[in-house]
Amino acid sequence: MIPPPSLEIAVLVLGMVILMLEAFAERIDKRILAFATIGALIAVLIGTWFLAPSPAQEQATGFWSFYTADPLSIFFKRFALLTTILVLIMMIDYAPVVLASIPSTKKQTGLGEFFAIPIFTCAGLMYLVSAIDFIFIFVSLELVTISFYVLVSFTRHNPATLEAGVKYLVLSALSTAFLVYGITWIFGVTGQTNLQRITAALANPEIERGPALFGMVLVLVALGFKIAAVPFQIWVPDVYQGAPTPVTAYLSVGSKAAGFVVLLRVLRPFLMLPQMERLIVLIALLTLLYGNLAALPQSNLKRLLAYSSIAHAGYLLIGVACFDGPAVTFYLVAYLLMTLLSFAVLVIVAQQTGEEISDFDGLAKRSPFLAFAMLIAMASLAGVPLTAGFFGKFFIFYAAIAQRQTALVVVGVITVACGFYYYLKVVRAMYWQPAAKVDNISVNVLSRLAMSALIVAIVWLGIYPAPILEALRR
Amino acid sequence: MVTLGHYLIVSGILFAIGFAGVMLRRSLIIIFMSLELMLNAANLSLVAFSRFHVQPSGVPDYNAQVFVFFIITVGAAEVAVGLAIIVALFRARQTTHVEDINTLKF
Repeated sequence: MIPPPSLEIAVLVLGMVILMLEAFAERIDKRILAFATIGALIAVLIGTWFLAPSPAQEQATGFWSFYTADPLSIFFKRFALLTTILVLIMMIDYAPVVLASIPSTKKQTGLGEFFAIPIFTCAGLMYLVSAIDFIFIFVSLELVTISFYVLVSFTRHNPATLEAGVKYLVLSALSTAFLVYGITWIFGVTGQTNLQRITAALANPEIERGPALFGMVLVLVALGFKIAAVPFQIWVPDVYQGAPTPVTAYLSVGSKAAGFVVLLRVLRPFLMLPQMERLIVLIALLTLLYGNLAALPQSNLKRLLAYSSIAHAGYLLIGVACFDGPAVTFYLVAYLLMTLLSFAVLVIVAQQTGEEISDFDGLAKRSPFLAFAMLIAMASLAGVPLTAGFFGKFFIFYAAIAQRQTALVVVGVITVACGFYYYLKVVRAMYWQPAAKVDNISVNVLSRLAMSALIVAIVWLGIYPAPILEALRR
Repeated sequence: MVTLGHYLIVSGILFAIGFAGVMLRRSLIIIFMSLELMLNAANLSLVAFSRFHVQPSGVPDYNAQVFVFFIITVGAAEVAVGLAIIVALFRARQTTHVEDINTLKF
C-alpha cells in the first residue's frame, strides 16, 4: 500500500528530473522526455488504486488536518493525471509550432520545458483536490496558477500569445488577491483555517455571520475567475484564443475541474446561510445566458470553445446550486472527454489550415477519422443522446428538478437549444462544405490511439454510465 | 488605544487603493504594484487578527502569521514570473501600456 501524499511527491520529483534532463542532456531528442513523462504519469495513475486508507477528517491532526485522501480527492487525482497525460500527447503534436516560435541556434531549445511545466501543474491540481485547509488551498492553487502563467505565454514570439499571457497574469493575480482577502475575513470571524473547524465555528449562533459571508463572497469571486463564471469571465475568450492550443485544453479542463472541487468543499460550511444559494443560482443563470448567447456569432473555433467552456461552467453551477456532488463530477468527466477530444482534433487541423470554422470545410473528405472524432466531440458538447454529454446534462437537470429550481431548468433547456446551433455549425462545415485543399491529413499513432480511446469512452458513457456512478457512490 | 477596528480600516483602505489602481491605471508595472498592495492589505489584517485572537493561554494565534509568510513567498514567485512576462512584452512591442495590447478582440 502506498501512503497517499507520496503520489504528489513522485509527480514533483518527475517534474524536476525532466527539467534537469532538459538543462543537461542536450543531445537527446526532447520528444523522448514527453514519452518518458507520459509513461511515468501512467505509473502514478495506476498507483492511485493502491493507496493506504487515510484517517477520518474529524479527528485528523498534523499533516492530515490540511490534506485528505477521501474518495472525492482520489477520483479527481486520477482525473488530473488523465488530463495531463492527454494534454502531453497533444503537446507532442504541437511541438513543431513551439519550435518555430523560438528562434535559436541550438536544436529543440525550450521544448523540454514545455513538457516539464504541465507536470508541476498536475502536482498542483492533485494537491488542490486534497486540500481541506484554506492555507493549503491557497498555496496549491497558486502552484497551478503560476505554472499556467508560464504555459499560457510560452510561445512568446507570437504577439497574440504574449497578450493572452499578460491578460491572464493580471486577472489571475487580481483573483488571488480577492481569495486571500476573503480567507482573511473568514479567519477573522471563526479563528480557523480548516474547513471542518470553520463549519463547527459557524454552527455557533453567537458568531457574527456578516463578515464571514463577506469573506465567502470574496472567495467566490476568486473561484469564479478559475471556473470562468459570469461576471468574472472577461479573460476567458482572449486567453483561450491566444494561448498555445494544448495549454488552452489544459486550462479549460484542469483549471475548471479543480475550481469546482474547491467550490464544493468550500461551500459546505456556508450552506446554512440562505443568501449563498440565491447568489449561486443568480451566477449560474447569468453564466448560462452569456456563454451560450455570445458563442452564437463566433467564427474562430478556439474562441467558440472558450464561450462553450463558459456555458458549461453554467451547467456545472446548476449542479453546485443544488449541491449534487455526483452530478457535478459526472458532468466534469464527460466535459473532460469531449473537450480534450475537440482540442486534439483542433491541434492537428490548425497546423494544416487554421483555427477558423471555415478551415474545417470538407474535413470529412481529407481525414474521415478526424472529422468523425470532431463529430462525436461536438455532438457530446451539444448533449445529443447516446453521448456522455447527454447524461451529464440529464443528471444536472434531474438534480435541479428534484430541488424545484424551475428558473434554472427553464433557462438551462433553452440554452441547450442554442448550443445545438453553434456546435452543429462545425459539423456542417466538415461534412457539407467543399474542401479548399484535397490532400490527406496524417495523424500519428499515439494521437490516433488517444482519440479513439476518447471516442469509445464518450459513446460508452453515453450508453452505460453506471461504472462512473458506481465509482462516485462509494 | 489602537483597536482591531483601526487595523481593519487601514487594511480595507489599502485593499481599495490597490483595487482602484488595478482598475484605473494604464501602466502594467503600476497595475502589478497595486496587486501587491492588495496582497499586503490581506497580510496586515491577518497579523491584526492574529494579535487580537488571544488564546486562553495568552498566546496569539500564530496560524495567521504563518499564512502571512506563505502569502509573501507566493507573491514573490508571482512577481518573478509576472515581471518576466512583462519584460518579454516590452521586448516584443516596446510598450507596457495596456491600451496598446489589443490584438485579440471579438
